[in-house]
Amino acid sequence: MKGYRKYFGKKIIWFLITFVIAVILNFFLPRLMPADPVAAITGKMASGMTDASAVQEIYKRYEEEFGTNKPMWQQFLLFCKNAIRGDFGTSFSQYPRKVSDIIGSAIGWTIALQLPAIIVGWLLGNILGALAAYLRKGWDKVLMPVSLFMSNVPAFGMAVILLVVFGVNLKWFPIAGGYNFDMIPNLSWNFIKSVISHYQLPFWSIVLVSIGGQAVGMRSMSIYELNADYVKYARFLGIKDSKIVGYVFRNAMLPQITGLALSIGTMIGGALVAEIIFSYPGLGSTMYSAVTAADYPLISATTLIITVMVLLVTFLLDIVYGFIDPRVKAAQFD
Amino acid sequence: MKKILALLLAAMMVVGIFAGCSGSDKPAETKAAAAPAETEAPAVTEAPAAPAESGAVELPRNETLYFAGQQWGTVNSWSPIGTNQNNSMAIAGNSGGYRTLMFETLYMYNFMDGSLVPLLADGDYAWSDDMTQLTLTIKDAAKWSDGTPVTAADVVRTFDIGVQVGNNTGTGFGAYISSIEADGQKVTINAALNDEGAPVNPLKVLDFLTGTPIAQAAWIDTVVDRCGGDTVAILNDAGDDVVWSGPYTKYYSDDQKVVLIRDDNYWGQDASMWGSLPVPKYIAHTIYADNAAGETALKAGEVDVCQQFIGNIQNLWEKDGLPISTYYEEAPYGVCLTMPTAWYNMNIPVLAENPALRKAIAMAVDYDSIIANAMTNQSPSFSDVPRSLMNPTDGEQALYDHAAVADLQWAGNDIEGAKAMLDAAGIVDSDGDGWRDWNGEKISLNAVCPNGWSDWQAAMEIVAAAGEKIGVEITTLYPEWSIYQTVFTSPSQTEYAIFMWSPDAASPSNPWQRVNQMMGKVYVGAENNWSGNWGQYVNDEADALINQIPLTTDSAELKDLYTKLTEIYLTEVPSFSLMYRPSLFHAVNESVWTNFPSGDDGRNIPPADCTDGYGIAALYELELVG
Repeated sequence: MKGYRKYFGKKIIWFLITFVIAVILNFFLPRLMPADPVAAITGKMASGMTDASAVQEIYKRYEEEFGTNKPMWQQFLLFCKNAIRGDFGTSFSQYPRKVSDIIGSAIGWTIALQLPAIIVGWLLGNILGALAAYLRKGWDKVLMPVSLFMSNVPAFGMAVILLVVFGVNLKWFPIAGGYNFDMIPNLSWNFIKSVISHYQLPFWSIVLVSIGGQAVGMRSMSIYELNADYVKYARFLGIKDSKIVGYVFRNAMLPQITGLALSIGTMIGGALVAEIIFSYPGLGSTMYSAVTAADYPLISATTLIITVMVLLVTFLLDIVYGFIDPRVKAAQFD
Repeated sequence: MKKILALLLAAMMVVGIFAGCSGSDKPAETKAAAAPAETEAPAVTEAPAAPAESGAVELPRNETLYFAGQQWGTVNSWSPIGTNQNNSMAIAGNSGGYRTLMFETLYMYNFMDGSLVPLLADGDYAWSDDMTQLTLTIKDAAKWSDGTPVTAADVVRTFDIGVQVGNNTGTGFGAYISSIEADGQKVTINAALNDEGAPVNPLKVLDFLTGTPIAQAAWIDTVVDRCGGDTVAILNDAGDDVVWSGPYTKYYSDDQKVVLIRDDNYWGQDASMWGSLPVPKYIAHTIYADNAAGETALKAGEVDVCQQFIGNIQNLWEKDGLPISTYYEEAPYGVCLTMPTAWYNMNIPVLAENPALRKAIAMAVDYDSIIANAMTNQSPSFSDVPRSLMNPTDGEQALYDHAAVADLQWAGNDIEGAKAMLDAAGIVDSDGDGWRDWNGEKISLNAVCPNGWSDWQAAMEIVAAAGEKIGVEITTLYPEWSIYQTVFTSPSQTEYAIFMWSPDAASPSNPWQRVNQMMGKVYVGAENNWSGNWGQYVNDEADALINQIPLTTDSAELKDLYTKLTEIYLTEVPSFSLMYRPSLFHAVNESVWTNFPSGDDGRNIPPADCTDGYGIAALYELELVG
């Protein structure tokens, strides 16, 4: 147990160091862009204004308000101080909205779309992949090329195909938004139905693409494991097939679990394509528009969320690995 | 082997369960997928029987007018005295006129004939003889949503708070209006005076009449009180308790849509104004992710009025047979009010010192190709409307002497003429590398516009191709918007040689304002310059002429001034327009609503999306299909 504690103590320290570096990068990298978001706000307000000195005044006022006229290190300290209290400042591109308010209204949609899609895609993909490895022959001959094809369709391609086929041509599903264009959010059955139907296309556009990749990976891993010496040896010893398959599945799953954890960690950015093509609300498109608008506070906050999520899942992964993989456990105790 | 088979069976069952799960999802999906059709259909039939009460959660299709292309992102505020409201349906000033759905201006601008139609004001305004004072009266019938009358004091307070906090009204008009006085319903606007005692710019005073939403004095006091007088707090106030005078008010908004609902107590149903309420009960705007999404929704009939550029729009009715139409049945389909323009950067010596080079490049550009490709012919050609400082409307075209400048105008694609001009100016290929040189160095320019602005990018490619044809190296550059806007508004930039931006479109102060933007010295050297003369061109003669225009009332004299300015502009070529373009696109889907304004209906309602300036008159005449 002592080894365990030491191991995780070390891990936590490393994670903290990573976190601090990530926060510093999150803050400084967006600010290195050669763009001036204060000029953008000024421009929004000043378009059509004839008086050039008045425009200058507006610029100065915003510079003052955002503190962009202060030295970078002062801005950083201020950012850290406020971030601890959950205040990421005011957005440039959606001024005067608070960053926390923007993220708050978008993150629910992203998690509700991405988490189930990632998990369903992962489960279906792994099961299909494992089946392909066991069954071989006909099943594999169909599944393998289909999976390869699907995993190589770019996410936006899949989304556009679904949009055109099922939305525009067949009109089975709505094409844009999180709920019906003629509704106001409420708790009626009609509204819930509307949310569910709007959910389908973005959801399947993510699931279909991830199934292919997962299936291909799981199939190769399973085939590799099925041919491993320990399987042959176990068979030789006359161990039950079901028991052997249990071993095989556990071993083949390991890299897949890492993949699952990482895709959960990075899901905010991953939702971008579905969100844009289906005009679906969420953080991906928020982050995208923040980047194009050089909206530092919003970029810093969203990337910070991704950083924290990735760090958390990798940390959890370390713990879980100890349970599912004795080799890792052994290493951790060393 | 049996065991393996058993296991496979088990595995297949698991898959079956998953398939079942997704299968059980499926029925729900298909049911739900049918929902839009279902909900739409009952809504249409139910609505007349049970008119939706306030608090309706579904907007009856036949009572709602849907928009696209105006609102991007979430609404920030409903305060007409703030800034950055990002509230396009309620608070938006456009070149086509102010959007008067919720807040109203004194007059509505009609860009079809340049007229000012009284809204809150009663009848015409009057200038004093020396144009230092403008007087008007507020309509007796005009009321706020709380039932109190709109008074001259509201106009005064609106202007004063603007100057105090520096919102658009204050910064936009503070330099041109010294004060506003109220006497009962009578408003007196005192123009700001220059050193000679003449008004600084009477045209900008007229812009105030059509471009400033009037807010209620009592409500302004409430805001100032709750903000403790803090300027930033006042500017950022959410305005949830705002008092309005227009026919619509806020109903719902989130990050996916904004909905306005008709105020059935609207004062404008008085005979002295419209005589009735606007027809649609709801005004709704779904917030689409991009133009493509808005266009898809227009095609699907989920949008009635679309303010987006749609390439080859005629295909929607000619090929797809959709009930979609534009203001004019034939090209250019809409009313072009502005000219996206390529500006030469005068900080770059080769451009600043060689008018011949500037003109040669401009002459070589194939504008017909730009108009056909980038604008899909939604612009008149430069043969139809020869280039000048004017937009293609009849009103502006009549402002200069066409014959006097005919020799100076060019329709483009004149490669030989451009080459001859460069040769004559001594700009030749001296080292035989195929590119022309200046001062012993190869001329190398870039043509720049923001990335993703596809029609502008297409135009810049054609400019670059023209350069190649005449032996001037022009490369294209498409930086991201956030970078582009930082660079081109900087007065000392040398990064962009030829870059795009549009001058002003239409307002009472145009075309003067546009001419000022093209050549006015006032903008030269201004930091964060969003106002005009982005190429930093200086011409004292032109500047003197520009400054005379606002004080000139004699039409012959005015025409003479504009003609001289056009001569200078076409000779010096500090910039060149690439196409004509509407300031608002206006495509309508007539599957639910009809009787939208069109070019030949004799109603003189401008194609301003049924919302802007006098364009709002369309809302009172809409009819349901069938």
